[in-house]
Amino acid sequence: MRNTFRKMLATPYALFMALFVILPIILIAVYAFVDSEGAFTLLGNFKELTKEKSLVNVIKNSVIAGLSTSLICLLIGYPIAYYLTKKEFNRTGVIIGLFLVPMWVNFLLRMMSTKAVFNVLGIPLGMGTVIYGLCYEFLPFMIMPIYTTLLKIDKMYLEGAEDLGATPVKAFWKVTVPLSLPGVLSGLTMVIIPSITTFAVSEILSDNKIKLLGDFIYNLKAYNLNMASAISLVLMVLLAVSMLITNKFSDGEQGGGIW
Amino acid sequence: MEEKKTNGKAEYIIELKDLTKIYDGKTVVDHINLKIKRGEFVTLLGPSGCGKTTTLRMIAGFERPEEGTITLEGKDIAELPPYKRPVNTVFQKYALFPHLNVYKNIAFGLKLKKVEVTKKNIFGKEITRLVNMAYMPVEQKVTKKDGSEVVKTVPFCRSYQMMTVTTKKGIKKLKKVNMYKKFIDDKVKHALKIVGLSGYEDRDVNSLSGGQQQRVAIARAIVNEPQILLLDEPLGALDLKMRQEMQLELKDMHKKLGITFIYVTHDQEEALTMSDTVVVMKDGVICQEGTPIEIYNEPTSAYVADFIGESNILDGVMPEDKKVLFAGAEFECVDTGFAPNEEVDVVIRPEDWVIKREGNGILNGEITGCMFRGVHYEMTCMAGGYELILHNTVEYKPGRKIGLYVDPENIQIMHKEHVNNTLPVRFTSNTTFDLCGGTYEFSPAACFDNCEYDEENDVLKINGEEIALKGKEAKVSFEFDSIDMNDDEYASPLAGNVESMIYKGKNYLVDIKTDDNRHIYADTEYLWDKGDRVGITIEKDKFTFSDCDFIAKEGFTYTGEEKNA
Repeated sequence: MRNTFRKMLATPYALFMALFVILPIILIAVYAFVDSEGAFTLLGNFKELTKEKSLVNVIKNSVIAGLSTSLICLLIGYPIAYYLTKKEFNRTGVIIGLFLVPMWVNFLLRMMSTKAVFNVLGIPLGMGTVIYGLCYEFLPFMIMPIYTTLLKIDKMYLEGAEDLGATPVKAFWKVTVPLSLPGVLSGLTMVIIPSITTFAVSEILSDNKIKLLGDFIYNLKAYNLNMASAISLVLMVLLAVSMLITNKFSDGEQGGGIW
Repeated sequence: MEEKKTNGKAEYIIELKDLTKIYDGKTVVDHINLKIKRGEFVTLLGPSGCGKTTTLRMIAGFERPEEGTITLEGKDIAELPPYKRPVNTVFQKYALFPHLNVYKNIAFGLKLKKVEVTKKNIFGKEITRLVNMAYMPVEQKVTKKDGSEVVKTVPFCRSYQMMTVTTKKGIKKLKKVNMYKKFIDDKVKHALKIVGLSGYEDRDVNSLSGGQQQRVAIARAIVNEPQILLLDEPLGALDLKMRQEMQLELKDMHKKLGITFIYVTHDQEEALTMSDTVVVMKDGVICQEGTPIEIYNEPTSAYVADFIGESNILDGVMPEDKKVLFAGAEFECVDTGFAPNEEVDVVIRPEDWVIKREGNGILNGEITGCMFRGVHYEMTCMAGGYELILHNTVEYKPGRKIGLYVDPENIQIMHKEHVNNTLPVRFTSNTTFDLCGGTYEFSPAACFDNCEYDEENDVLKINGEEIALKGKEAKVSFEFDSIDMNDDEYASPLAGNVESMIYKGKNYLVDIKTDDNRHIYADTEYLWDKGDRVGITIEKDKFTFSDCDFIAKEGFTYTGEEKNA
């Protein structure tokens, strides 16, 4: 009796999951393999995709923007996360707060004001400004997972390394960095996927000159839901594969990222 | 112990002098002095918070001392960072690197090893520099294409030799072997052999059991051939059986390696089993230092006697040399050099009581309890108003009347650390004073000699001279038994935390630490717990004052004692 009641408590969540998580995925999968008339087609939509001349360019832009954004975010974010874990830099948690506050400001507003700043400074809009905007937008997503893994690393490992003859710099590279890799990997996935699928940033900060995968899907949607589903499916598969790789890397490691 | 001198080197490998560590204003290690002989197995023993681990961490270099020196082989290393010290640590929680396998964990220190290399710089001047061993220049025979051999200088990590190696399939093959890799390989394998884990090289450290991880941690430390191996409660996380096995193995390793071991533990049995020298610590100071046998048989304080093994600690008086009165009887002993009628602490180990027929011993008693403890029976006995613990292989049932005898050699007599409480005070009026932040009332007529006090007019006369006490400073003394402890801290002028307690057969001697870090000792019949918050009430006519500069010296006789600083 009590057991059935307990199981009943899960019903709203199960319903929510079914309606808003599982059903949409199924719909995407269905749409991806169905043409505009509703007839089944195995590779029709994917073939259509290859006919789109702009797609090559879009993928190229996405790869460049995604990779450089995540790399820049890593280069900036890792040292920030590292110093935030040091008590003397982040005694009250105010500084970590300062890095997160920009996330509270509406991001469209942030992008438009960034564009205005570029215009005032006379900087031409293009790939550079898009990457700038993406880094601005996604830096906190890099800092947070790295920060949490670094925080979890026991100080005794560093003491152990120093005891065995490692200078603090060596200890950092040989102990801290490898032990924080899971955080780095989840930071990278958290930056790279959204940055290539976002559309407003590139649209605003390049005056529609540079199109990323997000813009491509956004523009497709208007006239071809099936093709949009197909490309989304490809992205989802890519995401799943990258997650698998991430998990492989972080297997057996202590700590772990946000995922 | 035999004195060792190796190759004319100093007898002591490491010397701590006035070593002091203060955390947030609290002195954790207080001017410690310790000399450790080369090749010795030394154990720092004490309860948690006694400063033993902090002392070890200062030797390892993780803590900087506020004061004092650590001299290793004649050099002060107190300010050196850990990576420059020729010592290695085995950590309590192992601290094995989870991202590396067993082999890489052990090779970690070796790969960082630096050697001195003398080289000529561009001006032809010889300079000595520390370089990583991998880049140490070595001579390498190289066979040229025409078959002639030349000797070249190459970094160690690129030197090789042709060697016959057995492949996994068991085929012998002549192969080019990298000498640096082989050097590390051999060392790691040797270390693994010493700790009994040969063949575990490729194992993930997280897949090992606690005991195996501990062995890897030891291998990782000894592979660097440190001059001193520091062990911070290395067996604390293991279960009893494993711990006992590792104790023997560690002792064995110590013999084989010949390295000086400094071992930290709170387990007295462990300390007694393994060490050459035991250093008992309390509150950041060393209480006693000696061989396990000395520490056990001749503790120099009630604290040490209580901490090491079970013992009967009793109050006694020595009327003359070789005679001691306790539990209402006079015993013969072997101790001399005490003042006539000096109050002493007497320690008798439970197994040293000889049980005789009633009337045949020095002391008569009645068995009140009996418990089987495996090898022996543990019995409690009431004798002369004291409760004694006896160990005997023969069982005596409760109610049995017995006589007790102790061999004079088995009576250990110690000076009392504290005879009474003596603390500084400041008078706040003619009848009150401030002690450690609490205001106590006292009756002047009872506490001062030659004193008259007119209560109505608040006039105090000492030695016939009128004195206003307010604002004056002095020292107050009061006996342990004049204190009343209670658990309502607000009902008493002063409160403190119970630091430790020792059973004295009749009552407990409790050490209470006040909020301003002073110790007050009290006798109580009740058992309190360590850390209990207690109120301290003292009867108002039980005080004696000393160091009263404001009183004219003439005719003033002081009766209190001033031992307690």
